[in-house]
Amino acid sequence: MAELVVKDAEKWFRRENGEPLKVIDRLSFEAREGAVTVLIGPSGCGKSTLLNSIVGLEKLDRGELRFLDGGESGRRPLIGYVFQSPRLLPWKTVAENIGLALEGAGVPRAERVARTERYLKLVHLEEYAHQFPLYLSGGQRQRIGLARALAVESEIVLMDEPFASVDELTARRLRQTTRRLCEQLRRTVLFVTHNLAEAAYMSDYVVTLTARPARLDAYVANPLPSPRRWGAEIYNFAAELETKVSLKEDDAP
Amino acid sequence: MSFERNSPAAVAGRSAAVAGAETLPPFGVSAARDLSARLLPPLLAVASVISIWWALYLIYPRLLPSPLSTVAEAVRLVTDGTFFFHMYQSLRRVFVGALIAMFFSVGVGIYMGTVMMGERFFQPLVVLGLTIPGLMWALIAVMLFGINEFSPYFAVTVTIFPMLVINIWAGVKSLDKELIDMSHVFHFTKRMKITQVILPQLVPNIFAATRYGLGLAWKVVVVVEMFGTSNGVGYQVMKSYQIFNMEGVIAWTLTFVVAMILIEYGFINFAERRLTAWRPKIDVWRR
Repeated sequence: MAELVVKDAEKWFRRENGEPLKVIDRLSFEAREGAVTVLIGPSGCGKSTLLNSIVGLEKLDRGELRFLDGGESGRRPLIGYVFQSPRLLPWKTVAENIGLALEGAGVPRAERVARTERYLKLVHLEEYAHQFPLYLSGGQRQRIGLARALAVESEIVLMDEPFASVDELTARRLRQTTRRLCEQLRRTVLFVTHNLAEAAYMSDYVVTLTARPARLDAYVANPLPSPRRWGAEIYNFAAELETKVSLKEDDAP
Repeated sequence: MSFERNSPAAVAGRSAAVAGAETLPPFGVSAARDLSARLLPPLLAVASVISIWWALYLIYPRLLPSPLSTVAEAVRLVTDGTFFFHMYQSLRRVFVGALIAMFFSVGVGIYMGTVMMGERFFQPLVVLGLTIPGLMWALIAVMLFGINEFSPYFAVTVTIFPMLVINIWAGVKSLDKELIDMSHVFHFTKRMKITQVILPQLVPNIFAATRYGLGLAWKVVVVVEMFGTSNGVGYQVMKSYQIFNMEGVIAWTLTFVVAMILIEYGFINFAERRLTAWRPKIDVWRR
């Protein structure tokens, strides 16, 4: 069953000179329940715009977004989001950052402490609960962002190139942590990247997009078994993905 | 693991300790150097002012009182209690006026920075307010409300309000959009957005505005007190002036300056350090 359905989504922006610019064009796909769906496409093709539309930071010009639950009440559904940069409040400690997200999610005060502790343990950062984010490394901050997105315990979690700003070794460790948590917690995850190996490692399903305006290019099921291991088969599947998709920048206007 | 609330300074200490090296370097020499680097420049600044004053006194002894006799007069004012009574009156006027101005300016500044209509409405008023000198407001206040406590409150509030608004408005315009978006995604309430996301980002602007605003408020209060009240530092300065007591004028000014320095270093600096303890120290000129 699909947790999130994107149907005929269309989004336009206006350039500085007033000319309209189409960034998403009749895009339809679904993110399956409990699985990681990776959205892959060239830089600037509208992936982040789509995620921003899902969480309500942008508004689609046409099309619809259907959520398995919460769609009827008309209220914006609660969605965990791991941003490209961690976006932690630097004047709040790690625990307070997660606590505020829980407060926003309406989690009772009594439960917030235990839940913060639980998710910090999942990302192996419980000893840093009372530190300020600026005293931590980029990778640690990104793990706190991951813990915050998971701690709100929403059905859907969005991840927008979450490891793009860290070095490759750190990114690899973060991918392992994230994939392990996805397998363990079975959340519906929509993961955006433009890295084929990352897509091969993280995904259960891969949605490939064309260059701007983003259209559906291919929908591929990942045949690799879980739990996932980083090895030759990841690169083989990445190479296979490359043959299946047309990540051509030339298509851009 | 416990999650009790901690002071920002304590948390910053722990953060630095965890992030820092396991073997600590010797701190003795660097601490002494740090202390002297902190104290020496302001002491030199004060010493240079006194030197100039002394030199001028030696050149024009009839016009200027000696620094020693002025300090003696200031000590007398403090020891006989006159200082505390009048300084309290002036401080009360400064702080009440500044607090009223701060309360409204934070609201208006945030409104101007976040709502286009608010910006369009308040911008001309703020610019207009900035062009009116504090002295004019002092005169208008006394003419409108007479010799009572409302005059200095009003004069201080309306004088510093536009300047505070400008600072806070500028701060709101440079808010980190990514953090605002984050707060939206995680369903922060309006109260949470203001208190946890917006106001902490405005702390440097609020402190800059407070420093400038208090300095301006002092000046306005002194003017109002000179002709609109029967107590306060301004009133005492005026009294000394009327009998051409130069030592009295400068002694009151000195006490005034000392009070301002105490407020700056004892209160504003302290509060700023505590509120920005989360920020690691930056050494721009290190080699």
